[in-house]
Amino acid sequence: MVITFPHMGKMYIPVKALFDELDVDIVIPPKISKKTLEIGLKTCPEMACLPLKINIGNYVESIKRGADTIVLSGSCGPCRFGYYGVVQKEILRDLGYDVEIVILDPPREGIKEFWERVKKISGNSSLYKGLRAINKAFKVCEETEKLLQLVLRQRCREVHKGDTDRIFNRFEEKIRKVKGAQAILDCIYETKEELENIAVDNKKRPIKVGIVGEIYTIIEPYVNLEIEKRLGNMGVEVHREMSVDGWVKFHLSPDIKFRRRQKRILEEAKDYLGLCIGGHAWETVAHTLNYSRQGMDGIIQLLPFGCMPEIVAESILPTIAKDENIPIMTLVVDELTGEAGYQTRLEAFVDLLHLERSRKENEFGKVLSWN
Amino acid sequence: MNIGIPRALSYFDYFPMWQTFFNHLGFKITISSPTTKDILNKGVSLCVDDACLPVKIFHGHVADLVGKVDAIFVPRLISVSPGEFICPKFIGLPEMIKNSIKNLPPLLIFNYNLHKDTEDKKNAFYDLGRQLGLSSRSIEKAYKEAISRQYIYEVMLESGQNPLAILHPKEKWDKLDSCKGVIGIIAHSYLVCDRYISMDIVRKIRNKGYDVRVVGNVSQKKIEDNLKAMPKRLFWSYGKKLLGSGMEWLKGNEVDGIIFLSSFACGIDSFIEELIQRFNARKLKLPYAVFTVDEHSGQAGFDTRLEAFLDMLEWRDKSGYNFSSHGQDVYSGKSSF
Ligand code: SF4
Ligand code: SF4
Repeated sequence: MVITFPHMGKMYIPVKALFDELDVDIVIPPKISKKTLEIGLKTCPEMACLPLKINIGNYVESIKRGADTIVLSGSCGPCRFGYYGVVQKEILRDLGYDVEIVILDPPREGIKEFWERVKKISGNSSLYKGLRAINKAFKVCEETEKLLQLVLRQRCREVHKGDTDRIFNRFEEKIRKVKGAQAILDCIYETKEELENIAVDNKKRPIKVGIVGEIYTIIEPYVNLEIEKRLGNMGVEVHREMSVDGWVKFHLSPDIKFRRRQKRILEEAKDYLGLCIGGHAWETVAHTLNYSRQGMDGIIQLLPFGCMPEIVAESILPTIAKDENIPIMTLVVDELTGEAGYQTRLEAFVDLLHLERSRKENEFGKVLSWN
Repeated sequence: MNIGIPRALSYFDYFPMWQTFFNHLGFKITISSPTTKDILNKGVSLCVDDACLPVKIFHGHVADLVGKVDAIFVPRLISVSPGEFICPKFIGLPEMIKNSIKNLPPLLIFNYNLHKDTEDKKNAFYDLGRQLGLSSRSIEKAYKEAISRQYIYEVMLESGQNPLAILHPKEKWDKLDSCKGVIGIIAHSYLVCDRYISMDIVRKIRNKGYDVRVVGNVSQKKIEDNLKAMPKRLFWSYGKKLLGSGMEWLKGNEVDGIIFLSSFACGIDSFIEELIQRFNARKLKLPYAVFTVDEHSGQAGFDTRLEAFLDMLEWRDKSGYNFSSHGQDVYSGKSSF
């Protein structure tokens, strides 16, 4: 059995740690590229959400490298994500790939099946070994996210353009070669230290932008055309609550403090949206509100074309923009999104934020001088 | 008090229940007029660009009611069956309306959530009644009346009747003298029952001498039975209807051809259509066509394709020739207008 899984940002790092610890062979899908997307476009329904198409590309590329089992997590509505596995299975079958797809649905859909599936993909490891592996993977997940947050902090402040990205790229190359959770952690710590030591301008007060929206689009740089990098290189500090680590902590781990904080943020948005409608639309609305109150200069909502829950959120955001007096921009991405137009829109938005900030500062200055 | 009900989305499935409830309690109701170009345009301009056509149309119908009624009824159908959902947009509908349309009268929001238990129906009506300041006693009576009417409606549908004919008796179809065959239309009720956005497809097909079945005509039991073949439980109630009736028709005894009428940017249709198309291509290879409608759909192109599809059916019947209906000929290729 050789396992593979779909890409979603840097999720492959904790997943690799998990399977390394279980001594299960995996194929990490090659980094998403134009080729990956093309495979998806050729084989998927035109109107399917973009993540599904890229997933298929990931599978095919991994199968060609020897994978025979695909693992993905499931859910049971209301969004399409929950039915990805089934549709993907049919597509792969018609393509002639004889692979097994293991969908990890939440245990409440049937605890017995859940355990059987877990047992299957864990190479029949003992319970002790399994738990230890999970524990280590959690740790890797958390540290990876810390590293990513550090990247966000340093990139907009770096003195020598490109330092952050260079170090991070090297890290990604290295990580595919090492084996085992500890080796991965060492790699992360090393990189962290390197990043902390680059020359940065600590006095800078960068423009701050919060990113909200559909989780896959936020986390996967290929899909969002590396929005973090683009903004960071314009000197903008990017804030991103949504992460693999956050998802894991909210759904799988017993981190009560984290859950409470998230629940509180959701609660605060109840005047705009007070229930889960599927996907992460509630988070989108709640994080938007929370970011504006934290003093972000602007907010960007990201969604793939046709994303059902985010469309609901999109119709709510203009009201928040007005109530909180904060610029919000919605970016819809699909397979045709052109780089040039995208960059222009980002630059225009950042220009607007600079203007807004100096206007606010001027007003503030006036108030002060009157006193 | 005059309550406005938008003639869109779940209207076509649940109107009898709402009508009975309000009438029983002595409220006057006003239904927005059938979709027109003007309603569509209003909806398109008010709603966020990225939404699907039916949701935009719903916006148009609400706008049509503004100024004419004292309150507008907006259903929030979270779930109509335990463990299932309909679509994220059905859940967020009141929010979309509130944030997109100005000068709204008070909204009566009908929070319908049977995700845990069918008995929760009652709560939805009690909640609605309380928004109208009514006593439990009168709510209880109206509620009982409402669900029994709804039940009758569903039974009538399953017996093969046309939903529009029941809701608006004037729309009744004349009996076809002779019938060349039957076409199954897989589509959300709110697409196929809206004569404007469905380009009056039902009437057009019938004028050509073919009878029509819609998904409402397939019994829930058959739908559930068919879906047992799926490797994973499907959790969209409307999606189940589409897929389950498609699977029923793919058995080949009831219909001679299938049309999938879907709306551009509908997340659910895109999945179901994909599955049905693959099932059909693998097995029966019934004549099959996908018609996708959106706000730019042109009447002429639609008609031409529909005619071509029907011609092909006829030709196929005459020649007895069974050719693959998937991906080879222009009639069953995918395209939108
Ligand atoms: S949240 Fe959006 S992208 Fe994700 S499955 Fe749902 S529709 Fe697709
Ligand atoms: S089911 Fe499809 S057509 Fe209906 S509201 Fe949802 S996305 Fe729109």
